[in-house]
Amino acid sequence: MVDRISGQLERYMDLLSSRQKLVASNIANADTPGYHTRDIDFQREFLQSAGLEPQVSEVDGLRTKNDGNNVSLDREARLLSENALRFNVASQLMRSRLRGVRSAIQEGRGA
Amino acid sequence: MSLFSVLSVGASGMAAQRQRAELLVENLANAETTRTPEGGPYRRKDAVFESATVESPFATVFGAQLEAMGGVAVSEIVVDQSEPERRYQPGHPDADKDGYVAFPKINTAEDMVDLMGASRGYEANVSAISAVKDMIQRSIDLMR
Amino acid sequence: MAAPILPISPVTLPEAIRPAGQMKGGASFQDVFASAVQSVEASGQNASASVERFIAGEGEELHTTILATQRAELSLELFLQARNKVVSAYQEIMRMQM
Repeated sequence: MVDRISGQLERYMDLLSSRQKLVASNIANADTPGYHTRDIDFQREFLQSAGLEPQVSEVDGLRTKNDGNNVSLDREARLLSENALRFNVASQLMRSRLRGVRSAIQEGRGA
Repeated sequence: MSLFSVLSVGASGMAAQRQRAELLVENLANAETTRTPEGGPYRRKDAVFESATVESPFATVFGAQLEAMGGVAVSEIVVDQSEPERRYQPGHPDADKDGYVAFPKINTAEDMVDLMGASRGYEANVSAISAVKDMIQRSIDLMR
Repeated sequence: MAAPILPISPVTLPEAIRPAGQMKGGASFQDVFASAVQSVEASGQNASASVERFIAGEGEELHTTILATQRAELSLELFLQARNKVVSAYQEIMRMQM
């Protein structure tokens, strides 16, 4: 039942979920002095670690304001939408797979 | 931290930005206030933000990397202690013996820009909560 | 012209019918059945544990719990369907006149 693809989809959803939590934290702390934007290396986590908790790290290349805060609301807003849409796609794909199995069961009943 | 506690993170962001906005509005409203109950002109107030862990009534476990310092809170309200601005207005009821009146040290333009920032920050938190709510709903839909 | 008559080949008896249980080199039906039951059990337990963790607020993601319960549900249904097929096949065989 836990076929490879559905396992992958679940892992994808796990990582998107983790990423979105960090985006929400970044947004909440957009004006906190000294706060640094946090994120996960999505591709690396997805391709390399099958483990549970992804590695959280600070993001490079962001402009730091006078108070030490480097959150870019533009970046976070963009990631917020992207993560939500990808999660949507993954959950729909998962649903369709589950429906497929359910149909196979129903068919079996009739035969 | 489950997606549910992220709703609390977003809520903490909204609350902090709202407090910040309230103080900015108070500053703007009192930009010309020369007389206060405490004596002297109005003194500018500022909200100081600080990362905070978020309390979620349904969660028991903290400690994972993603948990730490997710939310935000106003740690203190700083009152401007610097010398007020003095303007020469001898006819003013609050003028001192030299004819100077102490006015609040408020840069109206700056505070208005700040207010817009607070508003934008507030909206961003609202969007975050909305996006997370949608993801939770999608998870629930997996059962249909 | 008819073909020459070929010598009669000796009659060979078919091999004695072995009990249906033992297949060459493979698991017995019983083993397959038992492992299927175990698998359904396991996915059921996994789902229950996930639900427990979720409601206790131990940081279990909602989609993880839902997927675990869906998989347990489908796993069971598939198993029941397969079992029903086996039972009806068995009954059909029993009805056959030998």
